[in-house]
Amino acid sequence: MKLVIKNLKKSFDKKQVLKDINFEFEKGKIYGLLGRNGAGKTTLFNCLNEDLEIDSGKFFIEEDGKQRKMEADDIGYVLSTPNVPEFLTGREFLKFFIDINKKRIKKEKTIDEYFDFMKIENEDRDRLLKDYSHGMKNKMQMLVNIIASPNVLLLDEPLTSFDVVVAEEMKQMLKEIKKDHIIIFSTHIMELALDLCDDIVILNKGLLEEIDKNNLDNEHLKNKIIDALKEEE
Amino acid sequence: MLKTFITSFKLQNTYRVNSIIYSIKQLPVVKRILPNSLYKSRGLKIFANIISALWELTSVFIGKIIYIASMIFMALSLYNTNSSDTFIHLFVFLTLAGGVLNTYMLNPTKDKYYAIILMNINAREYGLSNYYYQLLKLIVGFLPFTIMFGMIANVPLWVQLILPFFILSVKLIVMNYCIYNFKKTNKASNENLPNKFVWSFIGICLLLGYGLPAIGITINSTIFLFICIISIILGIYSLIKIHSFKDYKKMYKKILTESNVYMQEKNTGTQAMKNVSLNQIELDKRYTSNKFGFAYFHELFVKRHRKILTTAVKKQSLVILALIVAMIIGINVNSEFKAKTNEVLLVYLPYFVFIMYIINRSSSVTQAMFMNCDHSMLTYRIYRTPKVILGIFKERLKTLIVINLLPAFLIGGGLALLLYLSGGTDNPLNYVILFVSIISMSIFFSVHYLVMYYLLQPYNVSTEIKSSTYKVVQGLTYLVSWYMIQIRMPIFSFGIATIIFCIAYSLISLFIAYKFAPKTFKLRI
Ligand SMILES: Nc1ncnc2c1ncn2[C@@H]1O[C@H](COP(=O)(O)OP(=O)(O)OP(=O)(O)O)[C@@H](O)[C@H]1O
Ligand SMILES: [Mg+2]
Repeated sequence: MKLVIKNLKKSFDKKQVLKDINFEFEKGKIYGLLGRNGAGKTTLFNCLNEDLEIDSGKFFIEEDGKQRKMEADDIGYVLSTPNVPEFLTGREFLKFFIDINKKRIKKEKTIDEYFDFMKIENEDRDRLLKDYSHGMKNKMQMLVNIIASPNVLLLDEPLTSFDVVVAEEMKQMLKEIKKDHIIIFSTHIMELALDLCDDIVILNKGLLEEIDKNNLDNEHLKNKIIDALKEEE
Repeated sequence: MLKTFITSFKLQNTYRVNSIIYSIKQLPVVKRILPNSLYKSRGLKIFANIISALWELTSVFIGKIIYIASMIFMALSLYNTNSSDTFIHLFVFLTLAGGVLNTYMLNPTKDKYYAIILMNINAREYGLSNYYYQLLKLIVGFLPFTIMFGMIANVPLWVQLILPFFILSVKLIVMNYCIYNFKKTNKASNENLPNKFVWSFIGICLLLGYGLPAIGITINSTIFLFICIISIILGIYSLIKIHSFKDYKKMYKKILTESNVYMQEKNTGTQAMKNVSLNQIELDKRYTSNKFGFAYFHELFVKRHRKILTTAVKKQSLVILALIVAMIIGINVNSEFKAKTNEVLLVYLPYFVFIMYIINRSSSVTQAMFMNCDHSMLTYRIYRTPKVILGIFKERLKTLIVINLLPAFLIGGGLALLLYLSGGTDNPLNYVILFVSIISMSIFFSVHYLVMYYLLQPYNVSTEIKSSTYKVVQGLTYLVSWYMIQIRMPIFSFGIATIIFCIAYSLISLFIAYKFAPKTFKLRI
């Protein structure tokens, strides 16, 4: 399975943010998406999630040589800002998601197992989400997106607000589930990208390009990435 | 002080000009016609400035004419008392009620917040200069209409001329009292959230104002002269006090809190607006749900938002019930009132379109739906699948209709009962039509707001209204409802027309919503 993007363009008024995006993301890999502030990473995710209408071009899923539209349940999107319905408790939010994804969940766990997995304390499980901390909300958001096990996971700077322990476990978890998914992971933390991601992709001046990682040690790779991002200041 | 005023005036103007340009940009048709480059053009800026100036000019007059025409002038025909005295009578009591409700100076508006809190402009100079400007606008705005309507109602000329100054004095006295109170208790409250004391005062004023003429008692011009002299003397004293008060900054700090300011401007909220919405959530462990999927989700939403859903409606129903009982007593006590009521009921059905519009909760409920629920949920792609969108739409439709039905039942039933008690009608079908048409109006507004919300989804991620189409539709809804006030039509014809219209509209719009909501219901980024 592949996620193919072809000639995707997006501009706001006059400003061309995504000029001509061409890429194939493959199943089984974690892609690290790097780019400077305002490069258009979030915009790209918003386009793929159909929150924004694209100006031209297309994207689709290619499976067994056949192309098909990317459907709603193909995609999970974890935003950098936590978005959870604040009138529900953590438990109720999970229940709702399990309910509406019933058919798709392969091996269903109990709600408490999910909470255990996410390291959310017993006493917090029945509190309103509006009283959760920033990081806890992010955890919930991540969790419901993983529950449905969508083919494509878009993660916009997701680990930044997790404490070190959870961040480490999330990394492990992502590595575990990656074989069944296409994971695109935007971040500003170079070490994280190098450590976790199989491929580094750079969004610069509206174009998406892969950095050749092979046969370079981390130090050289780092410099190469920074050079690529600095290009033509 | 003049300099501060000019600065603040410029500030307000810039803000307004920018909003105008922004709205023009957002208009659906214009967006396509105008090239992008035009947005930066001087022409558009000048045009927006002209609109802004025109708006400032009309705002001086428009509210006043509506106020006098609808609250005082139109009420005159309800009473048999001398029209001049009734005019003065209503004016005095409404002025007292209005005086405590809006002081101008203590109203927590956004421009005050920007200027005083964010930009640190001298609070006393800002507050006073804008206050005087408002008072000037008050005099200029009222004078033409107290003269115009006063002449029609045969009010003596000196009263026509002095009425605006009477209002001015009352405003000054109330303001001085607030300052006095602040000095004593160090408390200043948001006047948009009147406390029980203020509400009762307003209630009493309204009761005396509209009630006394019904039993033949009014103030006359001699009493008014006396009241007027006292208030003007007190007003002048207050003005001196207000002008010499020093601690405006401290007072404004108390009033211009984020939540006060953003509650005021419901439509332009940001995070603070969201916080206000969040306060509407109550967590009570008793409120749970045994349902499944979206029904579960929606039921919890309803239960956690009782404050703005069911509780508000219950209060409304109590008021309606009280009014109906009062009317029934009135009918039994006073035969003239009875005859008048019957006469009014037979032709005033269109008026109730406006009343049903006013009491319908759907607009604020859809807002809460967005702020507290859809704002976050719409980012989940699975929430935007047709199945989920339509499933939740259905649940919401049911809730909105049911919630608004309770007051509608009371009004519909109450009107039919009043019609019967006040002498009845020659066509018994009228009772049924009266009742059913009120119910269908209620359903119409519920459907209308929800469908508009789903088709236009006007909010963006930072919870501002981004769709001018939505604003236009809202404005039109208001205008049409308001227009209905002037129409007099017999129950039978208007009722039948309303019922048919409401049913047809609801069916068609639901069909459209079902077809298009999965496409249109998304976040604006
Ligand atoms: N709704 C919008 N309207 C106009 N311009 C926008 C909108 N959304 C984003 N932009 C512009 O598009 C560009 C890309 O923004 P985007 O948020 O995608 O950047 P990003 O790569 O996610 O940056 P960051 O690393 O800071 O999160 C920015 O210049 C931004 O100003
Ligand atoms: Mg971003």
